[in-house]
Amino acid sequence: MSSLRDKMNRLRGSSSPASSSEEAAAAVQAPEPPPAANTDHLETLSEEWSSMGVKLLHNEAGSFLMRRLVYPAGHQHGIHCLGELPSASAGLRAFHEVPIDAEQLLYLDLETTGLGVGTGNVPFMVGLAYWSGSDLIVEQAVIRHPAEERAMLFYLNGKLGGYRYLVSYNGKTFDWPVMQTRFILHGYNRKLWEPLHLDFLHPSRSIWKNTLASLRLSHVEEERLGIERIDDVPGSLAPQLYFQFLADGDPEPLRGVYQHNEIDMLSLVCLSIRFGHLLNGNTEGGYQLPMPAESEELIRTGLWLEKMGHAGRAELMFEAALSCERTAAATLNMLAARDKKAGNWQRAVLLWQKAVIQSVQHGSAGLSASIELAMYYEHKLKDYDSALSYVSEALELALIDPLGRRDAKRRAEIEGLRKRRERLLRKTGRKLAE
Amino acid sequence: MFKKKTLPELIEELRSNENIVNWHEMEPQEAKTTPFDDSVDPRIREALQKRGISELYTHQGTAFRLASKGENIVAVTPTASGKTLCYNLPVLQAIAKDDTSRALYLFPTKALAQDQKSELNEIISEMGIDIKSYTYDGDTSPTIRQIVRKAGHIVITNPDMLHSAILPHHTKWVSLFENLKYIVIDELHTYRGVFGSHVANVIRRLKRICKFYGSNPTFICTSATIANPKELAEQLTGSPMRLIDDNGAPRGRKHFVFYNPPIVNVPLNIRKSATVEVNHLAREFLKNKIQTIVFARSRVRVEIILSHIQELVKNEIGTKSIRGYRGGYLPKQRREIEKGLREGEILGVVSTNALELGVDIGQLQVCVMTGYPGSVASTWQQAGRAGRRHGEALILMVASSTPIDQYIVQNPEYFFDRNPESARINPENLIILVDHVRCAAYELPFKNTEEFGPLEISEILEYLQEERVLHRSGDTFYWANQAFPASEISLRSASQENVVIVDQTSVADVRIIGEMDRFSAMTLLHDEAIYLHEGVQYQVEKLDWDHKKAYVREVDVEYYTDANLAVNLKVLEIDKSRISGSGAVHQGDVAVTMIPTIFKKIKLTTFENIGSGPIHLPEQELHTRATWLELKDTDPELGTKVLEQLLLGIANVIQHIVPVMVMCDRSDVHVTSQIKAAHTGLPTIFIYDHYPGGIGLADDVYKRFDDVKQAAANLIKKCSCKDGCPSCIGNEIEGINGKQKSVQLLSLL
Repeated sequence: MSSLRDKMNRLRGSSSPASSSEEAAAAVQAPEPPPAANTDHLETLSEEWSSMGVKLLHNEAGSFLMRRLVYPAGHQHGIHCLGELPSASAGLRAFHEVPIDAEQLLYLDLETTGLGVGTGNVPFMVGLAYWSGSDLIVEQAVIRHPAEERAMLFYLNGKLGGYRYLVSYNGKTFDWPVMQTRFILHGYNRKLWEPLHLDFLHPSRSIWKNTLASLRLSHVEEERLGIERIDDVPGSLAPQLYFQFLADGDPEPLRGVYQHNEIDMLSLVCLSIRFGHLLNGNTEGGYQLPMPAESEELIRTGLWLEKMGHAGRAELMFEAALSCERTAAATLNMLAARDKKAGNWQRAVLLWQKAVIQSVQHGSAGLSASIELAMYYEHKLKDYDSALSYVSEALELALIDPLGRRDAKRRAEIEGLRKRRERLLRKTGRKLAE
Repeated sequence: MFKKKTLPELIEELRSNENIVNWHEMEPQEAKTTPFDDSVDPRIREALQKRGISELYTHQGTAFRLASKGENIVAVTPTASGKTLCYNLPVLQAIAKDDTSRALYLFPTKALAQDQKSELNEIISEMGIDIKSYTYDGDTSPTIRQIVRKAGHIVITNPDMLHSAILPHHTKWVSLFENLKYIVIDELHTYRGVFGSHVANVIRRLKRICKFYGSNPTFICTSATIANPKELAEQLTGSPMRLIDDNGAPRGRKHFVFYNPPIVNVPLNIRKSATVEVNHLAREFLKNKIQTIVFARSRVRVEIILSHIQELVKNEIGTKSIRGYRGGYLPKQRREIEKGLREGEILGVVSTNALELGVDIGQLQVCVMTGYPGSVASTWQQAGRAGRRHGEALILMVASSTPIDQYIVQNPEYFFDRNPESARINPENLIILVDHVRCAAYELPFKNTEEFGPLEISEILEYLQEERVLHRSGDTFYWANQAFPASEISLRSASQENVVIVDQTSVADVRIIGEMDRFSAMTLLHDEAIYLHEGVQYQVEKLDWDHKKAYVREVDVEYYTDANLAVNLKVLEIDKSRISGSGAVHQGDVAVTMIPTIFKKIKLTTFENIGSGPIHLPEQELHTRATWLELKDTDPELGTKVLEQLLLGIANVIQHIVPVMVMCDRSDVHVTSQIKAAHTGLPTIFIYDHYPGGIGLADDVYKRFDDVKQAAANLIKKCSCKDGCPSCIGNEIEGINGKQKSVQLLSLL
């Protein structure tokens, strides 16, 4: 074998063959990982595992590890109490237009060995959570080596069918496709379970795209759910820690990964509570659902509520936003665009005018508001003089060019404005002289 | 206004040209046909009839019969012989019969895949059967991708996509893999050398996935004429093959003419430049509005010829109707040129061998080759571009001064009577094999007894386990690494990283105009190099080697650049030797170091050297396979200087002969000479594979050394020069009797 190694190093032009063979020697000396599945049903776990609350589960496909935690309804996680879930969950019906019961929700969050949804990315830890009676149960399945995956999937397959909804954060494009791949690789039918997705990354993106620095769950929970993690192991380190465990068999590094995944699960539950409340209209009264002070977030929340079929509640958000003192011109335009579409011209014009005033001299938001106003005055009101003055204002803004560069889009915009001005000049009977 | 001449008129005129050294006429051939098999679905038969196909050519009939029985076939088909029906018919029949059937088409390039889709969809729409065929490549949008995976009956892709996108995500392709009936490999002959060795491994992975999903597809391959289509197809697919070579397609009359430019310097036997001659010949055809394709051997040459021809004909036809075509142009540009050729808007095209492949550009009337394309197979492929089924066609090969060109035009029987070359691959190249075992393990775990090609791979699996890429549990090796291995492995070149060419002529509009592999970039994109793209000159302002970016700016200068590469060699291990009293031939492992040294500026009109400059780039190292020739008993009276010249001359001859003998690209195998080899101090000539670990070319030279030696000696003897010229051993050196001494040296081996 060493001859193969030497040859590979030579061909690849490796500079330090010595160090890599040292490393390899270390790997060879490392204790063998526990034997494969199906061997010893009387096998017991070491002290390190039990100190983490981990137990060995057996089934007909083999064995794997399970850590099961029970959280009572009264458990407070950040600003929410887990017991809010049953009442909040009713609001989640807006996602699929079918009534939702908390007991139909299955929460999922994976820790995997790599990135992407390729066939070599293995979920070594599968975190599940579900509501049972008046408790929240969190289950964390872990495999000690790849051969245990079969037993874990067997267990999960038995579990999934009992639920209608899969709740996740980016699970529609990541966690669930990864699980599907694993099931297919182990010979399960690819249509074994077809849940309705409640993927909260999507509404989070709609609402917090511009107001939060990052849309990672750990950041969202800190900013909006009042959760603070202490000594958290970042999810990106999980693969490395798992490979370390695979190499030397010491479970200690996994402790942090268990904790990280556990908090992820609880935060995900709290996020669903927040969205449920929002959709239910439980923004006041007994529930604590602090509404944002920023108008950007209020408007985005309103737009999302409207999309989810709660137009009335959306309007409350818009009104709240309008009473905010400072609102960026771009935000005003966003609401104005919605009003334009909805035919609420009166408020749209008001918003555009506000946007123009706010963004004197800078920003493209003032420019687009001016263009909108010019269009409105020209086509809706046939007030060509006012339209002309907005066009001139827009042209001025377009030509200022704060960044000193003009991309193709800006050039086209300027061209369009010039044409509009010519037309308006003709309509008002003025000369092009100016 | 001059009256336009027709092609037959021009052919007659050409007959009296004194530079023509050989005129070979190929008689037209009548079609040989066979009726449709009864089993063919009437809807397919009707659709084909609407397209004027009421019978099959014999080879198409045989292909259908065998493929339908589930036999793997390889059909050898010249250009324009209706090869697509060889695979489309069995595939469409299978889907017409059973809607769940699936087929996978592999084409070496995206362009060919696009072509095939349009052609296929035309037949399908006439059939009135709901068959969905899609291309799947880097340009496919995410929404279409989903549809292709779930509902595509025929998925048309390339090996690179299969390798990096489909196989590593096979669980998204369950309906394809579960029901895969046929795998079509078109242009089989292009899968040779490094690329072919990679693709053979990709196909091993593909078969492994098919087995996992329980399908056992039949392979249908088509190939241009090579010596070993069956062997290549079997090596590439790892499956037994039936050969179909009863071509029944008709053919028009073809004139295959060898043109040797006149000698301009008698003592040095220097001929007029082939490029200049090609420019003038092509002009004659183009100004008479005869559609002409000009082939040139390098990208730079394409651009030079293009700008010359555009200049020559600018008063007669617009420069827009003469275009260039080569790798490095963006796909959109290429599609536009192909369409222009098909529809006749583009009258002339100057191309590298990129147009040798089956891209549909319609029927051209004249093909002009700037020099011998390097192999018999390649020459026939290029010749096939002129004149398809009917009418006269002219193929002109204009010889350059290189030894092999001169040898071929002076020995036409060598070309016309010779069997074409064999295409070789070495899927067992250790680097390539290990890379694909990694990819395969990512896709499905390996049992320690599992086969992957003919070699035992348990040793590789254990090695990868030590490297912590795989994890062993019981008798199974599992992928256990964060990496996505397919993204680190490129099928096309030794180096994964290509150099991106950035045009910053306009500050407001910086854009990427092309890319180039790392080794070529060393000599073509160094600082101050003149890079030609679509006839436009760019100067490289900065080659950012660390970030693999070349920044260029449009210029208008009267020269192009040519770079020198210094090569050093070290023997690592000797595997085999054949020792005679006065010399020896060895085979083994070597380390090659390469560094570009200087570049020359060469004037476009006169080709004279008008300046030079240094190139500062890091050295590149390559460990590979080599065969080397060692001379022991050289005549001490020769003197070092003369001996050095002679070695250089022989190396020059061998460099030209070897790619022809082993069928590979010129850049796949390199030859270099040393007056005192580092390990022995003896005069030595090295022939080595230009790929880490080698791909079997130098090994083949060792095996067939007697043939190589014989061909080299013949070439030197038969050259018409007095005592050495650029066409054989290089320029004559007064009074050393170089030709005779070179042959003597060869006989020492």
